[in-house]
Amino acid sequence: MFGALHSFAATSSGPTVFITPLSLFKIGNITITNSMLFGWISAVILIIFFTVIAHRLTVKPKGGLIQLVEAGADFITNLVTSSFEDKERGRKYVPYFVTLFFFILFNNWLGLLPGVGDSITYHGNPLLRAFTGDWDATAAAGVVTMGLVYGASIKAAGFKKYIKHFFIGSPLNPMYLFLGIIEMFTDLTRVVSLSIRLFLNVTIGEIVIAVFSYLGHVVAPLTATPFTLVEIFIAALQAYIFVILSVNYLAIAVNHVTHNEDLTDEDVPETMALRPEKA
Amino acid sequence: MIVLADAIDTAIIAKGLMIGGGFIGPGIGIGIIGGNYMQAVGRNPEASKFLGQALVFVAIVELFALLAFASIFIVK
Repeated sequence: MFGALHSFAATSSGPTVFITPLSLFKIGNITITNSMLFGWISAVILIIFFTVIAHRLTVKPKGGLIQLVEAGADFITNLVTSSFEDKERGRKYVPYFVTLFFFILFNNWLGLLPGVGDSITYHGNPLLRAFTGDWDATAAAGVVTMGLVYGASIKAAGFKKYIKHFFIGSPLNPMYLFLGIIEMFTDLTRVVSLSIRLFLNVTIGEIVIAVFSYLGHVVAPLTATPFTLVEIFIAALQAYIFVILSVNYLAIAVNHVTHNEDLTDEDVPETMALRPEKA
Repeated sequence: MIVLADAIDTAIIAKGLMIGGGFIGPGIGIGIIGGNYMQAVGRNPEASKFLGQALVFVAIVELFALLAFASIFIVK
């Protein structure tokens, strides 16, 4: 059973490794890559799956699959609402993060299926590729998530207050100005760090599986199965980490800007020197 | 006189150094996280519920190891 699963990677010419998606065909000027194709397929699978699950939901659900989905949704709901000081404000963001969690989780798991990779080719290129094994896809997820974080914090506080929350004191002090600008850059680099973490974990997991099934040669199932199991665990862990990190970024920003009466420099003694002494 | 760089495939050495050097730091970091987590559990068994947070920090540290691994595909 597992022989067919892994034999596709155990070729005599060494493992074939792609770290970028390959183009399949063109619609107009837009190049359709193999990861885009698999992303659409998994999106359709997800929509059908969750529509069926949503229609079967009852107070006492029957069947393990529904309970599994319910447990996952409940877990993320608790995670999101407990991160916010204001529970009702946190409840607003729950649907997005539950969707994000299941989208990443299912894309990671579907990418591990046999047939996704080198076994099925189209004009010499692999037909399917894990959607999260493509930096464009994870960068899109990172941009949308961090866009939600910025938008929600600006909406919660107003633009002026939002800009002000980067500065620990008066921006007229050059030290605080510098620290505030660095803080802004840190906020921007979160898009890259979120997306590259997910992308590299998935892609390097595929590379590790390919390398170990190549090294195993005849006994490829024996050598590659442990790493496939590790990848199943890592796929779930990375979905959880993507969600918990983005929830934390959102919660920190929103909790901060809605509670920032103490951020004015009125009571901060360090900034006193900038103003004339109150005699 | 044979130039050493012509005689030896330096890309192999570069990849080896990159993997070796790049994995030291995250290895130490994950060791520190795991050790401190076990110490916290040993002092206070209630702290074992923070395994999820420990894994989050492991993932943050692991990113740098993955970056080092991904960099070997850039070296030709």
